[in-house]
Amino acid sequence: MARALHPRAFALVLFVALLVLAVAPAVLPTYARSLTLAILADVSLAVSWAFFSGPSRYLSLATGAFFGAGAYTTALTGTRLAWPLPVLAGGAVAAAMAIFVGALALRLRGPYFAIFTFGLAELAKHVVIWFETGVTGTVGRLILSPPGPLTLYYTVLGVTAAAVTAALLLRRSRWGYALAGLGADEERAETLGIHTTFVKIAIFASSAALMGAVGAAMAPRWTYLDPQVFSPFVSFQTVIMALLGGATTVAGPIMGAVFIGLASEFFLLRFRYVYMLALGVALIVVTLALPSGLVGLRPRARR
Amino acid sequence: MKLSLLLDIVVGGLITGGIYALVALGLNLQYGLMRVLNVAHGEYLMLGAYLTYSLHVGFGVNPLLTLAVTAPLAFGAGLLLHRLLYARVLSGSETPEALESRSLVISFGALFALQNAALLIWSADLKGYGYLSIPVRMLGAVFPANRIVAAVVALGLSIAFYVFLRRSLAGKAIRGLMQDPEAAELVGIDLGRVHAICFGVGIAMSAVTGSLVSMFFELTPFMGLPYTVTALVVIILGGLGNVAGSVVGALLLGLAETASVYVTTSDIRPIVSYGILSLILILRPAGLLGR
Repeated sequence: MARALHPRAFALVLFVALLVLAVAPAVLPTYARSLTLAILADVSLAVSWAFFSGPSRYLSLATGAFFGAGAYTTALTGTRLAWPLPVLAGGAVAAAMAIFVGALALRLRGPYFAIFTFGLAELAKHVVIWFETGVTGTVGRLILSPPGPLTLYYTVLGVTAAAVTAALLLRRSRWGYALAGLGADEERAETLGIHTTFVKIAIFASSAALMGAVGAAMAPRWTYLDPQVFSPFVSFQTVIMALLGGATTVAGPIMGAVFIGLASEFFLLRFRYVYMLALGVALIVVTLALPSGLVGLRPRARR
Repeated sequence: MKLSLLLDIVVGGLITGGIYALVALGLNLQYGLMRVLNVAHGEYLMLGAYLTYSLHVGFGVNPLLTLAVTAPLAFGAGLLLHRLLYARVLSGSETPEALESRSLVISFGALFALQNAALLIWSADLKGYGYLSIPVRMLGAVFPANRIVAAVVALGLSIAFYVFLRRSLAGKAIRGLMQDPEAAELVGIDLGRVHAICFGVGIAMSAVTGSLVSMFFELTPFMGLPYTVTALVVIILGGLGNVAGSVVGALLLGLAETASVYVTTSDIRPIVSYGILSLILILRPAGLLGR
C-alpha cells in the first residue's frame, strides 16, 4: 500500500486530498457531501485509534465511550456555547476521561486492558441511562438549533486534518519512538529511561480528545441523542477499520475507514444484518491471516 | 416484613447466582485452560435460548427436554469452532499475550457474526413463552417454579462438573493442563484433544443455560453480551481456572445484584456488574485470587 511512498510524497498526497475536500462542498450534491462527512468522521476515529493502539499494542475498546462523551457534551452545552466551542469541550471531556481511565488501567496488559476499556463504554452508557431516567427524567436529548451542514462539514474536516497531522507528527517524534519502544518491550523501554506511564497516558488522552471532538462534531447530525450513542459498535468498527488497513501506518487506517465507510453506506441500510455478519467474519479472517504480532497490528517487522 | 424481604433477596440471589455459575464455568474452562477469552460466550447462550424457543413453540417439545438437543449440538459446534478458529490461533501465536489478544479479536468477530445471524433468523422482536410459571412458596417468599427448576438444574450441573474434575481421570488431565501444560504433555496428556473437548463443554454449558433462561426471560438477539460480562466478572472474582471459585463467585454476584436491585431500581444491575469488574481489575490486575 502507501507504505512504499516516500514520506514527503505521502504528505503531498494528503495535502492535495485536503485541498480537494475543502473545495468539494461547492460541487458535491447534498447526498455525496453527507457521505463524505460520515467517512471523514470514520477516518478520524480510525487514525486516532491507530496512533495510540498501533505502536503501543494496547487494544483499546473505549472509542465508543469517548465518542459518546463528546456527543453528549454537544447535547448538553449546544445551546449555551457558540459553535466550535462544544467540539473543543467534547475533546476536553474525553481527554479528561482518558487521563482518569489511563491512570487506572494502562498498567493492565493484554486482554485485561481491552476488557476494561470495553466495560468502560458499557458502564458510561448505563450510568447515563440511570442518571437520565432516575435524576433528570428524560430518555434522550434534542439538539436545538444545530449549526448548518456546511459548518459541520468543515468542523469534521478540521478534526480529521488534526488527527492525521497528529499521527504523522507522532510517527517521527521522540514520543512516537517511545510509544513504539514500550509496545515492543515495556520493561526494556522503562530501563532505557522512558517515562512509560506518562507517555502512554499523554498519547492515549490525545487520541481520546480527537475521538471526543469527532463525537461532539457529529452529534448535531442526529438532532436527537440517547445513551445508545455510547455504542460498542463504534469501538469495534474502529478496530476493524484500522486493522483492515494496517494499524502501524497512517495510510492504513485511512484506507480501511474509507473502504468500510463506503461499504457501510451501500450495504448497511439495505442488508443490515448480512453486512454486519460479514463484518464479523472479515474480522476473524483478517486476524487469522495476519499471524505476526498483536492481531496483525504489525504486519511486518519494521526497522 | 424485614425477614421476608431478606429471604426474598437471599433466595432470589441464589437463583440468579446458580444460573450465573453455569455460564461462568463454561467461560472459565475456555480461559483457564486455553487463555481464550471468548467474548462471544454469551452468544451461545442466546442461541441455546432461541433453539429451545423454536423447538417448544414450533414443535411443542418440553423446554427441559430440549436440553438433550441443545447440549450435544452446542458441544459439536464448540469442537468445530475450536478446530476452525482457535486451534490455529493457539498453535500460531508465539507469546501468551499475542494469543490472548488474537483470540479476543476473533471472539469479537464471532460475536458480531452470531448476533446478526440470529437477527436474520429470528428478527429483533422480543420473543417468549410461558412454562412452569406457577408460584411456589419458599420460606415465606414466593418464586415462580421455572426459576427454581432452572437454578437447581444449573447448580446441579455445575457441581456435577466440579465432582467430575475432582474424581475422574479425565478431570485430572484437565486440572493437570490448567496447572502446568508442559508437564501435563510430558506425562502423555493430549493437549489438542483436551482443548477441543473443553471448548465444546464450555460452549454447551452456555447454550444449556440459555435453554433454561428462555423459560422465564424474553429473548432478544442482544441478550448474550450481559451474560458474558457477568461471566467475566465471576471468573475474575473466583480466580481464573478455579472451578469452585467460579461457583462461589457466581452466587456472591447473584446476591449482590439482587440486593442492589431491591435497594434502588433494576437500572442499577449493569452498573453494579460493570462497576465490580472495573474495581477488581484496578485493584487486582491479575484477578481476585490470581493464578
